[in-house]
Amino acid sequence: MTPAGILMTALGLLWGLGGTVWLLRHRSYTAAQVPRFLMDLLGFPVELAQSVFGRGGVPYALLLPNMLIFGLFTFAPMILNVYVSMTGGPSIALFDRPYVGWDKYAGLFDCENLLVPKTCSNAGYNFWTGMYNTLWFVAIQVPVMVGAALLTALVVNRNIRGRGFWRAMFFYPVMLSPVVIANIWNWVLHRKGALNAALGDTTEAMTALAGLAGFDIAATVILAVVLMVVTLRSLGPDAPPLAWSFVFAALLAALVTWANPLSLIGRDGSGWLGVGLGLLLLWIVAQGHAARPALYAAAAVSAILLLSIQFDAVFAFDRYRPVNWLVTPKTGWAFFWLVFVFCWSHMGFYMLILLAGLQAIPADLYEAAKMDATSPFRAFRRITLPLVMPTLTVVVVLSLIRSFQIFDEVYLLTGGGPGRETFMVVQNIYEVAFASDKPDYGQAAAGSILMAVVIAVFTFLQLWLTRRQSDL
Amino acid sequence: MPPPPRRGAGMSLATYLSRTRGNRETAERIGLQDVLAYGYLVLGVLVILVPVLWTLFSSIKSERAVDSFDTRVLPIAQVETMVDGRSKPVWSWTAEDGTQRLVTKAGPTRKITDVATLEAPDQVFQVPKEALAPHEELRIATENYLDPILKRNGQETFNFLTYLGNSVFVTVAATLITLLINAMAAFALSKYRFRGRLTFTLLIVATLLIPASIILVSLFFVVWSFGIFGSLWGVIIPAAATPTGVFLLRQYMLTIPDELLEAARMDAASEWRIFWRIIIPLSLPALSVLAILSVIWRWNDFLWPLIVLISDPGKHTLQLGLTQFAGEFNSDFHYILAMTVVTLIPITLVFVWLQRFITTGIATTGLK
Repeated sequence: MTPAGILMTALGLLWGLGGTVWLLRHRSYTAAQVPRFLMDLLGFPVELAQSVFGRGGVPYALLLPNMLIFGLFTFAPMILNVYVSMTGGPSIALFDRPYVGWDKYAGLFDCENLLVPKTCSNAGYNFWTGMYNTLWFVAIQVPVMVGAALLTALVVNRNIRGRGFWRAMFFYPVMLSPVVIANIWNWVLHRKGALNAALGDTTEAMTALAGLAGFDIAATVILAVVLMVVTLRSLGPDAPPLAWSFVFAALLAALVTWANPLSLIGRDGSGWLGVGLGLLLLWIVAQGHAARPALYAAAAVSAILLLSIQFDAVFAFDRYRPVNWLVTPKTGWAFFWLVFVFCWSHMGFYMLILLAGLQAIPADLYEAAKMDATSPFRAFRRITLPLVMPTLTVVVVLSLIRSFQIFDEVYLLTGGGPGRETFMVVQNIYEVAFASDKPDYGQAAAGSILMAVVIAVFTFLQLWLTRRQSDL
Repeated sequence: MPPPPRRGAGMSLATYLSRTRGNRETAERIGLQDVLAYGYLVLGVLVILVPVLWTLFSSIKSERAVDSFDTRVLPIAQVETMVDGRSKPVWSWTAEDGTQRLVTKAGPTRKITDVATLEAPDQVFQVPKEALAPHEELRIATENYLDPILKRNGQETFNFLTYLGNSVFVTVAATLITLLINAMAAFALSKYRFRGRLTFTLLIVATLLIPASIILVSLFFVVWSFGIFGSLWGVIIPAAATPTGVFLLRQYMLTIPDELLEAARMDAASEWRIFWRIIIPLSLPALSVLAILSVIWRWNDFLWPLIVLISDPGKHTLQLGLTQFAGEFNSDFHYILAMTVVTLIPITLVFVWLQRFITTGIATTGLK
């Protein structure tokens, strides 16, 4: 038994036995008052503090257990980290570790070029690979998740039926454990799994559909009619309505993707061009100045594209080849699914917080905006966004800290693979200290401290950038 | 008696069906924005539910269906029969005259395959491969669940009841300790004026900003030197004090009037009894929110239990046991899926039972 263990046992005995004796000497209990006696025994240190120091001693006694745990298991490790990072060897007796100074840090910085992990020593390679992957992950995942959470919160905050149901559904994955989530998604994303099967079926169905006689003519006519209706709607009598403009922009993006105008000059990327054009159109409409001309121009472009589409080419799919989503290297799919699964499982929580922020905005502001015939987009930018900013800041900081520490999902879904594509910094710390034959606690502690520095820098940068809006 | 409806003033059917709120005068029709909103919500719920439901439906399929990645939703399984002490799949053979008979394969599958009927397994004859179709039935494969739980068919490694017991013990003990010590700290910070109150408050805020994963290594040293490494207490105690809990409870206790405490002090109640008899009962709403949060955190905890408990299979929590199980039997998907469902059921039931309470509680109080 360790000294600390003996100390704990002694304290426990003192509490139990000493408390019983003290209580029985100071108070009398009847047989029916056993529960009350147990309750008093539980609070024995508080009772003792009150009888020795008076009421002034009580708050300290009340705070003691909480602060003891914080001190021993949060603050002490924080400081110990520095000590451990300067010692070497595999010994787990704290004071039996040889002092090595800054060696462990030097090992991490032993690189020809810090930005290219391959040029580093072994320890440095693992650490910086993990660090850069994590930074990439945070840079992609935080905006995507906060954006999705805000959008969902805005939609749920509308006057819709069954708000409680939708809210609960989006929150449900937060309750699931990482292991369950990983098993579920491993099953769905397996090479022969449901996703590949569904994609294969869709491709087959599309090919079969496109093979029908007269399909291209029918599709062109239907698309033309839909486009006409949407154009008319979005060019309504007064200001262009944003919702219809959104549908129009989405149609435009789809059209550009299908018609593939960039193929004329032998380039790929028509899809991105379409999305860009759609967003540009939406932005112009939201600004409100040149909305009408922009919509007319977009309608003209759409008409030309529509006529130029050759449907037999559009719907000619190759046979679908199943993708091994989490295993195939150099495709980026493993990273993509990691971001997706992480958002899937955590978005609901941030959505709830944002929803609370949205519901705190007084409704009469929107009434006033409606009176002044403010467009919904403008109302969002001038009322919703500024007023939800404090909550948004909290959400960004929390999700930043949270996604910096990503471990469970990666470890269980991809194990850091394929290769080192999804190898994150916490996994590096875990493997160096706990999952190798020769644990190097000093190295892991040095890595933890560097990671803490990076997190602190990001958090304070974020708080400083939004210092006026923050309510942290 | 209500007046008869006036003719011509009734809402048209289309308006009635598509209104979102209001009576017939102020009815607002469903606009495109509503359609987009509902479309988004339905899509989102599909993305969330389909993987979970797919796992659920897959977990009740037979081993053969799971291994062949049958993508039908219903648990359709090929019938099996015992031939010479071995279990073999049954095929339905359509003869040239259209009659159907049940057969089993007596050799490898070739263009012309050797088969034998169920009644006379010794009489092997040959049929073309195209004439054979799997003979299927609708059957819920309960063995996926029962084998690991009852330790049948060589599934001795998944000690479900041990893992469940450990998980329940960790969750319940940790939640009780968390509730008690956080409530005590919150009581001190909200109802007493004493030197160092601001310092203590700031210290607790500071722990909110220390991510758990950067103190992993030295926390391991601390827990080791306390002799609780490798025991369930090594998982329970280090995270028992939560800054979130202290603040959540403190905010709530600030709303309890001081007069109640003064009245109790007049009756010479000790401070501890005031805490136990007045503060705790009055803070029950906040305490239950914290209890739910704590249960979610502890039930789903993974990294720290992985470090502390991994070497002793008898101490594994459900999450660790499931990880080990999935790692060992990488190909036995039918068992892994069933055990995944078993693991997600308790927390799902809690959620369905308390969902309104959880979502409103977290939205109004729980930041972390």
